[in-house]
Amino acid sequence: MARKTPVLKVTNLKKAFGPVVIVDGFNLEVAAGEAVALTGRNGAGKSTVLRCLIGADRADDGTVEVNGVPVRETDPQIRRDVATVIDDLDFFPDLSVVEHLDLLARAHGIPDADGAVDEVLHEVQLVPQSGQLPGTLSSGQRRRLALATAFIRPRKLLILDEPEQRLDTEGVAWLAARLVAERQRGLAIVMASHEPSLVEQVATRVVRLGDRAEVLADE
Amino acid sequence: MSKKSRKLIRSTPTEPVVEVEASAPEPVEERSFYFLADVEPVRVDERELHQEMKLWRHGRATRTIGQALQDGYVMIFTIVVLGAMITSAVLKAQTGMAGCDTEACASGRLLLPSAMVLACFGLALGVSRMFGPVLASAAEGFWLMDAPISRRRLLRARMRLPIIVALLVAGLATALVSALSGLSWWQVLAWSLAAGIGSAALVAFAASEQPLERTRVVKLLQGVFAAGALALLLVVVAVGAGWLPVAVVADAGQGLWVMVGLAVLAAVALVVLLGLATSRLEQIRRARLLSGGSLVSGMQGAMFALDFGLIRDILVERRMAEKGHVKPTRGRGLGLSALIWRDVERLKRSPGAFVGLAVSLFVPYAADALRMSQLNPMISGLALVAGLVPFLGSLRVITRTGGLARSFPFKTTQLRMAAMVVPAALALVWGVLATPAFIGIAQTGVDRSIGDGFIAALVTAVAGLLGAVRWVTAKKVDFGTPMMATESGAMPPTLIFNLFRGFDMVALITAPLILQAPAYWSLAIAAVVFVALRGSFNMEEMKAEQEAQQKALAAAKAEKQLEKQKIPRPSR
Repeated sequence: MARKTPVLKVTNLKKAFGPVVIVDGFNLEVAAGEAVALTGRNGAGKSTVLRCLIGADRADDGTVEVNGVPVRETDPQIRRDVATVIDDLDFFPDLSVVEHLDLLARAHGIPDADGAVDEVLHEVQLVPQSGQLPGTLSSGQRRRLALATAFIRPRKLLILDEPEQRLDTEGVAWLAARLVAERQRGLAIVMASHEPSLVEQVATRVVRLGDRAEVLADE
Repeated sequence: MSKKSRKLIRSTPTEPVVEVEASAPEPVEERSFYFLADVEPVRVDERELHQEMKLWRHGRATRTIGQALQDGYVMIFTIVVLGAMITSAVLKAQTGMAGCDTEACASGRLLLPSAMVLACFGLALGVSRMFGPVLASAAEGFWLMDAPISRRRLLRARMRLPIIVALLVAGLATALVSALSGLSWWQVLAWSLAAGIGSAALVAFAASEQPLERTRVVKLLQGVFAAGALALLLVVVAVGAGWLPVAVVADAGQGLWVMVGLAVLAAVALVVLLGLATSRLEQIRRARLLSGGSLVSGMQGAMFALDFGLIRDILVERRMAEKGHVKPTRGRGLGLSALIWRDVERLKRSPGAFVGLAVSLFVPYAADALRMSQLNPMISGLALVAGLVPFLGSLRVITRTGGLARSFPFKTTQLRMAAMVVPAALALVWGVLATPAFIGIAQTGVDRSIGDGFIAALVTAVAGLLGAVRWVTAKKVDFGTPMMATESGAMPPTLIFNLFRGFDMVALITAPLILQAPAYWSLAIAAVVFVALRGSFNMEEMKAEQEAQQKALAAAKAEKQLEKQKIPRPSR
């Protein structure tokens, strides 16, 4: 059987902060319908790898390609194909929850934006907060809004950094079901997680990072 | 889950391995715990507590005042010399202005200091409402407020600080304006006392309202004083331009007794309100105290980096958190037009921003009336920067972090330009409405032809817009770059430029107009500035692009090398 064309291809990725090498020689291929979970202890480099994958951090060496296109954070094609939920997501302080989702849906050219927003809003259980401004949301609700911003728009690759953070038990169960459905619909997923149940349910492959950080200052 | 993983899970033994428990007992580390003695706590005197806090703070100091003065002697010397020069200039100006008897001087002498008094009142109430005026740091709130101590006794001294600051700042600022407008020294004293004591009384009033968490009256008074100050300034300009007869302005001598009366009234109000505020301090909620404290600490952090954009962000976030909820509106359009339409919707949501823009429109007319036509583009451009910044909220959010920009399927340049559309339209309207001021409609006569006036207004509007864009999109100070050695210690080079960001663009674009060069020079500079600002020269990004191109070039070369491999000739 012919091997699927990878949505994400990472070759020999290297990233160091000063003398501390976080990852070196990291390779990864993720095809459509695959979900890869990055695990490892705190500081193992999961978030750093994810930031390099989306171009938020520049890798010291190696290449990252999405659908054969080298990743650049500012490339509109990459922005169109890759949905991310990592820690640097900001919100407009004067736009309500529903207005954020409506704006994203329309910016991505979704014709029935109202319908899509209603659906996602119900799913993330933020209907009562739809008119609330982001500054007044609880941390869990902000997380749900961040996840909703990823689900409201078209995407080929979903990159999530500890998506279970601040979600309640019910929320984690919903997220697992949603990600499984996304994967089954052919989406490629890369996520970093510390939640075993989420990894077990969603991931088709687990990559354990860690014990790689080396201090080269003494050399 | 992959087949391999499933296989691994299936092969894992399900029964617990008992031997592990028995053979490897975990060594238990012995710990000792502290428990509070089971006795009634001793009653603490708040004064002693304050003394203790003072002692701790002094204990943390690493330098004495003498050492600090020794280290900063150049700065102190500079301040003393500059202070002496300013005082001398003020004295000279006061003497000069006192002899001036034109309409502009007559109106300015009475109305400018009076406008300053009202502005001080408005500002005192605004700042008090923003910070508290009584506040406590997060640490104090965390452990001190939980203790069984009297909040009134603990916070009484703290409440006096903003009142004293208001008294001094308002008094000194009004004294400066009064002296510069040519009032006699007795009149200067009366106006300063009215402003200082009145502001202090208003801060005490805000403090008395704080424990009850009422802001309606404070807001109303703030609006009334601000509107009054603006109205007085309008009269000054109108008289100066000859639109109103000088007879509408009374003699400054009559105003003296009004100000003395106001000062006496304010002093009585201060005493009463101070007593009222002190008695209510016991009821103050901890959350109300801490919000002011956290705002101060956030702003302090931003001030250390001279990041005024961040200060504004903090204030906007706070205002929005207070607002909490809005009536959602449906968006329109698809793609970039959805972003532009959302900005149009925003205009309805924050009508307060139009007040600032309207005030900035008043500036070119005031500059024209006060015979400053030559400098008008620069002065008005700077005012427009302040007026337009509140309309550039979406541009600010898109540029401050990459996360949100990454969610939109557009180039950064496209996003920035979409976020500039509505402010650009407002700037254009501002330019059209300000055109008469640039043509010259004051008593001094026509300064420019209609065409030249329109172009000057347009250049000013563009300068204001680009100045505001620069102010909003400037990057944070990078403390990782090599530092500059200064008298105040090591400093990143960009820190100094933060002070001038936005204003530099206005100066650059309006300079040809001020130097009476053809206007197309200004437009050409504006075009270059626009190209730079819409994409903002991102060195990191450019470097990354360059590296990617180099890699592609190297790969192409390697491929060519393979193609060019020589086939050895068959040997005979």
